[in-house]
Amino acid sequence: MQGDGNNILSLKQVCKEFPGVKALNNVDFTLRKGEVHALVGENGAGKSTLMKILSGAYTKDRGIIEFDGKEVEITSPKASEKMGIAIIYQELNLINRISVAENVFLGRAPRKHGVIQWKKMYKDAKALFNSFDIEMDVTKCARDFSIAQQQIIEIIKAVSINAKVVIMDEPTSSLTENETKILFRIIKSLKDKGIAVIFITHRLDEVFEISDRLTVLRDGCFIGTKEVKDITKSDLIKMMIGRELKQQFPQRNVQIGEECFRVEHVSDGNKIKDVSFCVRKGEVLGFAGLVGAGRTETMRLIFGADKRTSGKIFINNKEVQIKQPKQSVGEKVGFVTENRKEEGLFLKLPVRNNIVAVAIDKIKSFKILNFNIERSFCDKYVQELKINTPSINQAVVFLSGGNQQKVVLAKWLLSDSEVMILDEPTRGIDVGAKREIFEIINKLAAQGKAIIFISSEMEEILGVSDRIIVMHEGKISGEVTKENFSERIITEYAFGGA
Amino acid sequence: MQTTVINKKRNSFIEIINKFTNAMGVWFVVVLFFIILSLTTDTFLSYANLINVVRQICVNAMVALGAAYVILGGEIDLSTGNMCALTGCGAALLMVAGVNMWVAIVIVLIVGSLIGALTGVVITFLKIPSFIASLGMSYVILGATLLLTNSEPISGLPAQFMTFGRGYIADVIPVPVIILIVFFAFGAFFLKYTSFGRSVISVGENPVAARLSGIDVLTSKILIFAIGGFTASAAGIVLASRLSSGQPMAGGDIGLTAIAAVFVGGTEKGSAMNVLAGAFVLGLVNNGLNLLEVNAYWQKVALGLIIILAVLLDQIRASRAVSVRKKANS
Repeated sequence: MQGDGNNILSLKQVCKEFPGVKALNNVDFTLRKGEVHALVGENGAGKSTLMKILSGAYTKDRGIIEFDGKEVEITSPKASEKMGIAIIYQELNLINRISVAENVFLGRAPRKHGVIQWKKMYKDAKALFNSFDIEMDVTKCARDFSIAQQQIIEIIKAVSINAKVVIMDEPTSSLTENETKILFRIIKSLKDKGIAVIFITHRLDEVFEISDRLTVLRDGCFIGTKEVKDITKSDLIKMMIGRELKQQFPQRNVQIGEECFRVEHVSDGNKIKDVSFCVRKGEVLGFAGLVGAGRTETMRLIFGADKRTSGKIFINNKEVQIKQPKQSVGEKVGFVTENRKEEGLFLKLPVRNNIVAVAIDKIKSFKILNFNIERSFCDKYVQELKINTPSINQAVVFLSGGNQQKVVLAKWLLSDSEVMILDEPTRGIDVGAKREIFEIINKLAAQGKAIIFISSEMEEILGVSDRIIVMHEGKISGEVTKENFSERIITEYAFGGA
Repeated sequence: MQTTVINKKRNSFIEIINKFTNAMGVWFVVVLFFIILSLTTDTFLSYANLINVVRQICVNAMVALGAAYVILGGEIDLSTGNMCALTGCGAALLMVAGVNMWVAIVIVLIVGSLIGALTGVVITFLKIPSFIASLGMSYVILGATLLLTNSEPISGLPAQFMTFGRGYIADVIPVPVIILIVFFAFGAFFLKYTSFGRSVISVGENPVAARLSGIDVLTSKILIFAIGGFTASAAGIVLASRLSSGQPMAGGDIGLTAIAAVFVGGTEKGSAMNVLAGAFVLGLVNNGLNLLEVNAYWQKVALGLIIILAVLLDQIRASRAVSVRKKANS
């Protein structure tokens, strides 16, 4: 471990635990003055936790953080900012309705007798941008600028607050190629001024283009720090994968039938580009990829929740018109969304109302709701899916995450969905409930239903799927059949191919 | 093991209590007010006064029934008061012009429902928040009423028309009470026993989940406003009949009182009968304060405080139920 004065920031044996998860496990990290240091790893590797500790959003459980040679405790976002750490988040934090100059000098505008000196503020702001060779009309509102320009404004603002370390969380994810070039130019001029940059990205090519060194995290553990010039892309991927597979998945013996659902050339005119795939009866088709690769967006387009600009959908080889969720429900397509509380459940309503929400027509006799039929259907699913609730009249808000998820599943099962889209169905539920969800998936496959299974957990997607499609930046970057399943190949595709 | 058994027993006991207060809470208050007023005044229990109270409640309760659909569906409609005035005057004008009474009534009911639906369209398709959209519509409706009537009451209505507001069945039961019962019977039935009622409740609770469950959110929203317009129109007819004339400024605070009745009744249960109880509470308070000879201006203050207090109590009760159940679950 070097103790030289070249390091602006160094972390030693930093740990952070959440109930049930070791988010960071003895992580070492050093950042030199004036370097660009890439932080890479798969979903859940611990990058965001590390960043949140540096920003003061979380506090570490153990370990030492040294800043500029002195041991420090980062107790709050304010403390972090004061020390000289600035973070540029994916969601930008500018105030839209006020001018660029006001944003840059927010809370510290030049004043005389308590009155803001507008002229001086504009002049200072302009000079600040000019020092980075950027021409900017600082009197215009922040919202009049593109995302890329807003990002630059944030960086300049950070520098003007005397930041010594700038952390960027996937700054290029919404930028065009040209805008990325401009951003990289600014990163280089930050370097020239001796400011260190931590660069979090999912684009490996950018790591090689802009960074001096890189650190790989995996499952909250520190894997290694390397000089970028000493490493190849395939070595890097090797470092990122190799996680221990410890979870057991229930066996499934299902004869996969004929194709029943096909999607051709689906696009939304923006993020999702030309997605085509098919699923067969009794098949579990996994959708892998990094968070933000466009898997959820694709499913929303297919389900009719968002508007698609092109693409066709075929059920049993017949083209169907799906422009509204209502229509996909009619075509027996079910969608278990990734945010069950916001998009799947009626939280304050009882289990009963939730289960029959889609297939309400099934509980009618003579056009009138029959509460006996409703009760018997609900009791059936409560038993079959082992939903733990004191009664079907209990509001779902009082159920645990796993049981809530089962209520959502019951809703789609009651509606006889033949195609089930499950978007991160195990998110936020405990291990026991996860296993139960996998067992339900197996049962559905055995009944000949086609299942589309989105998961960001490598183990899960490898353990549950019959075939995996990998997405990268809105496109399908690869398809892997069961005999070729490996973490390595999925990771390669997820990062856009080796 | 033992403790869980006891816990279960206690849970079911609490559940029964909750069920009881959920279903009966507001009616309990109605009964309480009834007893208090019977004891503190000589005149409350007289037949004449009771009939008077019920007749006053009718118009408000009918408007409140429609407002309940709108509020359950997650929106609000501020235009129902002026809608009452418009339809009352509209019917009066038609009848004075020689149109058959029943035809006139059907016309204004249809027009009222369509105007309500139009408010719904403004909210769903133009994406204007219902508070603002219905406020705007309220002024449009008021303006239209004033234009139609030249701001003068329309009198000279056929005697037959007075039946709706002033008539009696068998000389005992006021006709408006019968109308009220019919409306609430249908209103409660649709809410509880049809898929439309379920969609209204689902849409109000979570429109995003409702849409993704294949529920037609836009149509549901437009329909609830049409229902709000329909019940307000019917209430307007009863009101005009009671006043023996179309009064252009009769709207007043009817719309707001109706919204208050819905909240006093408690919306989350989604029961039409609670709305009726809410209207009764407000009606009894109004009547009681009159009988107790409380200054009319102070009455308004008291009414306002009671509305706030009622909703506050409901919230406290709901949050206590939550904490009890959380404890029971852990």
